[in-house]
Amino acid sequence: MQSPIYLTGTGQTRFGEHWDMSIKDLMEESIDGAIDSADCTALDIDMVVVANMLGEVASDQAHLGAMAASLLPHHPPALRAEAACASGSVALHTACALLESGKAETVLVVGVEKMTDISAGKIAAGLMGAADAEKDAPSGLTFPGIFGLIASRYMHEFNLSREQLNHVSARHHKNAVSNPFAQFRKEIPAESISTSPKVADPLCMLDCSPISDGAAAVILSTKFKSPIKIAASQLATDTLSITDRPTVTSFAATKDAMTAALEEAEIDRSDISHIELHDCFSIAALISLEDMGFANPGEGIALYEKENPMTINQSGGLKACGHPVAATGIKQVIDVSKQMKESKSEYGLAHNFGGAAATCGIHILAYA
Amino acid sequence: MELPLPVAFTFSPMRNTPAANHRAQKNLQQKMQEGTILSFTTVRHPPEGFPVGPRVIGLIELEDGTKVTSPLLTSDASSLTIGMKVLPKMRLSRVNDQGLRTYDISYEIPVQKPVKQEFPGYVLALTGPSGVGKTTVSLLLSTTVGSYVERVPILTTREPKEGDADEYIHVSPEEFLALKNEGKLATSTSIPSRDEKRWYGYRTEDIEAIWEEKKIPMIITEMNLLQGLASHYGRRSILSFGLMPPGKSKRQKLSALLHRLRDRGRDTEKQIEDRMKNAEADLEFFAKRSELFDDLIVNDDIDSVVGQLGGLVLERVKA
Repeated sequence: MQSPIYLTGTGQTRFGEHWDMSIKDLMEESIDGAIDSADCTALDIDMVVVANMLGEVASDQAHLGAMAASLLPHHPPALRAEAACASGSVALHTACALLESGKAETVLVVGVEKMTDISAGKIAAGLMGAADAEKDAPSGLTFPGIFGLIASRYMHEFNLSREQLNHVSARHHKNAVSNPFAQFRKEIPAESISTSPKVADPLCMLDCSPISDGAAAVILSTKFKSPIKIAASQLATDTLSITDRPTVTSFAATKDAMTAALEEAEIDRSDISHIELHDCFSIAALISLEDMGFANPGEGIALYEKENPMTINQSGGLKACGHPVAATGIKQVIDVSKQMKESKSEYGLAHNFGGAAATCGIHILAYA
Repeated sequence: MELPLPVAFTFSPMRNTPAANHRAQKNLQQKMQEGTILSFTTVRHPPEGFPVGPRVIGLIELEDGTKVTSPLLTSDASSLTIGMKVLPKMRLSRVNDQGLRTYDISYEIPVQKPVKQEFPGYVLALTGPSGVGKTTVSLLLSTTVGSYVERVPILTTREPKEGDADEYIHVSPEEFLALKNEGKLATSTSIPSRDEKRWYGYRTEDIEAIWEEKKIPMIITEMNLLQGLASHYGRRSILSFGLMPPGKSKRQKLSALLHRLRDRGRDTEKQIEDRMKNAEADLEFFAKRSELFDDLIVNDDIDSVVGQLGGLVLERVKA
């Protein structure tokens, strides 16, 4: 980054089922939190970037940029970013570009998703918009189905057992207990994961991130300083459909974004103390660890089978903290910043992807 | 396992508009290949618009290296393994509110059917759109190679009408279906008409009786019956000829048929219109399923056609 970008304010709603809150209410609560915790005032915000995937599908609501801006007294310029579950990191990346270009000095980034207003069947169909509508959807696949295919192939290639996979969600649930914003603050024993109802074999209900309402907001600034800096903001993409890829057990977008992010931050992956990664399904956590280079192909599970110095999804991850899709990428950055402040460690990383990692955004934070 | 028939639905992400459907049809041909299962899953709750209940879906690598995700037709997902070979099968995927039926390719594990060892004999099949001159050709053939060829009567549930030769055996729908269920038909098809469903078929006993006489059974048929016959006796038992109307382009061919149908004077304009619609499908069938035909013969000069066919038949008989 040419001029340092600081993370000056953060705010979020608890993730979960908020039947009494609209998409606007969710945004408002997270924006209030971000402004309250920031060194700047609301009037210092030059621009707003909103991350959202399903406004039209689940709330009949488009035009979320103006909706967010209308929550601020001076109605700053605003725009929306959409990249399915990677909307959050794409919005952060957009904000960084606005700051680097000098177009803005202080940007509010808010990710929001309101998912519980419509039936699970409609949400499942809407989420399939993250895949290729003419190549993947006509077979009747759901997103759990796509990751069912991926998990089944992964288990075949790397001899991963169903029992081993149980450790991923179990760890995330254990981590969520201490997170007041998590949807499920409840420990679940590993053996209960694979006995939960089947969703898309070999994946069970407790391998899947839930349907959640929630919002998360951060204020990024080149003007108002804070101990947390954005050391790298990188995006990478891959084919939209998994059928156009040479392999489904590794995600090229994660690899590309990781390589570029380490280069931008000028650090080694071993410098990183905390990561929040995109565990939309348990198997995705393993593949992501491997693609980011924290484990060899097929060995990601080792990082879940025993404790290690680098924390993984201390927030509970998408599984236990909840996954209001476009809020996730922003919430991850908030959680990593909290963990770094608490442990006084130097570097943390947020890994967020959309679809079957057709878009991947990686942010590295530095604490000074 | 045949999945339950999908119900109509309206939700937009799974849109099923004529245009989207049309685009999808273009890819169907490419998906008609053998493949290998790279992975599979059972989706317990398919999205809205698909039949309720578990749906087995595979990630399949086709012979040409492309990959697809498609339903796998199986009654037992636990019998599947990664690496299995699968064959394509076209089936109804969805029906929209307006009744538009979307077909898609599913894949199935090939069942090891015992190959029929004995060769029952030849059946001569003439296929072509109505008006192309099948009946004329067959009558002339009976005179030129009559000692080798005999026509198989058509079993039908339709009412007898004037102008029928002795080519039809009329039965009631109940009788027809009873024969079909007892496996006494070599092939059968139903053609919906305005008020009822008409059945047509050929009895195995009629065909086999002709073989007993050391003759070649001849059938004048259409595409569905031909496909059925080829799977009943095996493709190599069928001496299959497609009769095409003369003309360079499809338009000229169809126009030749139209003239013949009008000259024949047997049908009303409404019936002719229906026949023309079918004719177009028949002509496409020649191109799409060329493997079902030994030869396509253009009926521009009746004598040369009969001579050509007679020659081909004698060739086989002598061989």
